Amino acid sequence: MKIRLTSVMVDDQEKALQFYTTILGFVKKTEVPMGEHRWLTVVSKEEQDGVELLLEPMGFEPARVFQRALFDAGIPLAVFNVDDVAKEYERLKGLGVKFSMPPTKMGPVTLAVLDDTCGNCIQLAEV
Amino acid sequence: MQQFPLELMTFYHQQVLRFREEMYPKEYLTMQVMRSKKFIDQHYARPLTLDEMAAEAYLSKFHFLRVFKHNYGRTPHQYLISVRIARAKELLAAGASLKEACYCSGFESISSFGGLFRRQAGLPPYAYRQRILLKKSNFEESSLDRLSQIRRH
Repeated sequence: MKIRLTSVMVDDQEKALQFYTTILGFVKKTEVPMGEHRWLTVVSKEEQDGVELLLEPMGFEPARVFQRALFDAGIPLAVFNVDDVAKEYERLKGLGVKFSMPPTKMGPVTLAVLDDTCGNCIQLAEV
Repeated sequence: MQQFPLELMTFYHQQVLRFREEMYPKEYLTMQVMRSKKFIDQHYARPLTLDEMAAEAYLSKFHFLRVFKHNYGRTPHQYLISVRIARAKELLAAGASLKEACYCSGFESISSFGGLFRRQAGLPPYAYRQRILLKKSNFEESSLDRLSQIRRH
């Protein structure tokens, strides 16, 4: 069994693609048209054969409620690893990204939580 | 790390801080105990004393014991035994004899090895070994079967 793909629900795929690529720095991997939406994945620039992140269109009303509740509580939907949280925080803040939790040390890890502008909180982690 | 006003903190942010307070009241202690855990991971195969493990964390024996248990939910000795049992399992699965599995994973007597193994793995080492080796040979047979079927097609 392998984990090859995971997903984040986004309110607008194009906006999400822009944010996840130009701001966060991922690269587009697959794009398959599917009528109104597309099968759209991004991968880490450093691990282009690694796990794909599906930018999944939000089309299910109860999921929207769930997403909203998580977002309001500041609970991250996904966690991405970085080498240096403080450095990423400064870089992303410079690009206008909003953080609901600034870099915070918790024992052996440092965490920060940002707003992906598509309805989700995303956590950055440095181990 | 900047200060963040409480009323602006999300629920998650507060939870992180609360957890930090509970789990890592003194961060350096956690780091020291992690160091000792790594030491156990590296040196499980030889006799290890509590004094040695505690020294690796720069703590007194009793303090070390408490902090280790707080962080890992078990005593250093319990942890050491679990590392040794895991290693013994690997060796048995690779076809090692009971004696080899016992001494190479850091146990000093076959009888204490047998007892501890049984308690953790739920069956005695020889039964474990038999089961794994049987599973392996079944697997190989069934792969051979499948291969011959494929060839026939």
